[in-house]
Amino acid sequence: MKRLAAVVAAMLCLAPQLVLAQLNVSIAAFDPGVPEDNSSHRDLQVFPKIREIESMFLPFVLRQTLVDSGDWGAVRVVPEADTASELLITGRIVHSDGEMLAVQLSAVDARGHEWTNQTYTTQSDFDDLYAGFLDDLQTVRDGFDDKTLRNIVGTSLMRYSAELAPDAFDGYIEMQSDGTVRLLRLPAEGDPMLARIRRIRSVEYVMTDAIDQKFRELHEEVDSVYEIWRKYRRWYTNFKVEEAQRNEFSKTNAGSGTYEAIKHSYDNYRMDRLAAQEQDKWAVGFNNEMEPIIEKMEERIAEMNGWVEDGYVEWARILDELFEIESGLD
Amino acid sequence: MGPIRYLVTVNSRIPAFLALILIAGCSSQEPVVDLTTPSFVGAMPANFSGSWERDYSRGEDVQGALNTLFRQRNQQIQRQQQHPSSPRTGNSGAGISQREGNALLALARLVEEITRPDVLQISQDDFEIRVARKDDFAMSCSFFEGVAQGTNSPYGTEVCNWDGNSLVSYLVLPDGLQISHRFTMSSDGAYLRVITTATSSATRTPFTLHRFYIKFEAPASAFNCIETLSMKRVCSTGEIKP
Repeated sequence: MKRLAAVVAAMLCLAPQLVLAQLNVSIAAFDPGVPEDNSSHRDLQVFPKIREIESMFLPFVLRQTLVDSGDWGAVRVVPEADTASELLITGRIVHSDGEMLAVQLSAVDARGHEWTNQTYTTQSDFDDLYAGFLDDLQTVRDGFDDKTLRNIVGTSLMRYSAELAPDAFDGYIEMQSDGTVRLLRLPAEGDPMLARIRRIRSVEYVMTDAIDQKFRELHEEVDSVYEIWRKYRRWYTNFKVEEAQRNEFSKTNAGSGTYEAIKHSYDNYRMDRLAAQEQDKWAVGFNNEMEPIIEKMEERIAEMNGWVEDGYVEWARILDELFEIESGLD
Repeated sequence: MGPIRYLVTVNSRIPAFLALILIAGCSSQEPVVDLTTPSFVGAMPANFSGSWERDYSRGEDVQGALNTLFRQRNQQIQRQQQHPSSPRTGNSGAGISQREGNALLALARLVEEITRPDVLQISQDDFEIRVARKDDFAMSCSFFEGVAQGTNSPYGTEVCNWDGNSLVSYLVLPDGLQISHRFTMSSDGAYLRVITTATSSATRTPFTLHRFYIKFEAPASAFNCIETLSMKRVCSTGEIKP
């Protein structure tokens, strides 16, 4: 359909207007949203270790949704937020109990303009959760013309360049008082410094893709076990509701203080605690199963990040020297 | 036995929302367990970790405890009849009514059921003590920086406190039913005494039962097991890592 539209557009000489820049998207690993006050975890039904896994798992599901839409450039899951991304998505898990999932999602482009920042919830599957977010992104993007989108791409490149070689590229962008970034100009196409930056960025993308691949592997390994966890959590939530109803219907008419009455009272509490303790056991089971996978993945990501960070220092030094030589500065 | 009173945080997210719950005698109103201040500083006062089995040579049976209770009440009544001018002690000078007698029997029956498990498996770390019992929920006592953390549910509230070297677990249930367990270990760590007390709104007299347990070494299993979610319990004769 898109191809047909392109052909028709070409025939009508409208092609330049239709070929819009596709933005690359970076999705940072989510904030697990675990309250600092440990004592509140039980009441809030927060399992910190499982939230940690979800914070790495859920971004990948979002990545798939964006990739499947076909409307975006490269979509990558990254360990930490990078403000030089063309479009950066960050998220925080607000609630997750198998029955309901709520994630606060924010999208900010390289200019520092916020596209959306709100909490999305679902009671069914993840597609449902991300569909609303995707619609919001598309609505914002559809409101931009090609010039704006190219401005975002250019700003992203200049922010990245200025981070790596500030002496050479600081003059291309301007920080605004409201925290946004204004692109002042772009270097000439044949600029040798820009060519180097592009090469470095493409090397970094290779590493980012390798890290993204690790998140993909995590998704594959966690997916089936996570589904079991969600199923159990749903069972537990339903059980609590059914228990409350059963208790309401089975209220004993036995007089206060009789054996039947106090036994009923004790058994209700007993059943409630047994179910809660069974849920704790599932959480331990989930952690036991996932821990080696997560540890391995984190180790590999740390290695790759270390490589990129070391490379950064070296690249920045070399670029600085080259800029001095080419610009004739001492 | 004096009145046991404590202050329970019904919802720990709202510290200001505190409920005053009185257990046993109601003659005094000041709280004993304050869930806003630490009940200990540093390490927990005692370590109950291990496997404990019932010592049938010590402690009471329910029938014996009931007989003692009724005998004490009768003696109390007789004393009051002989010396009508002396100040009354205890809760009442009257005999046990049919209703109160039935309520006491009901409490005794419940306590017998609760204390039936022969073996207690106690695990303890810096923050939590869990008392696992067969066919019943594990009693759980959590402390955050020494402050007791209550377990709240629509069906009741559970909270613990340290009283010297004794750990006291309180369970407060609807309709005035309250159950406490006081765990005290002998100085050599070989014996554990558990005093279980139950009260209900239908009687002013609590029912108390003493049980004794001896520490034993649970035989080492030939298998090492861990819980998993997808394969349930996984066991191996070799080392098993999570």
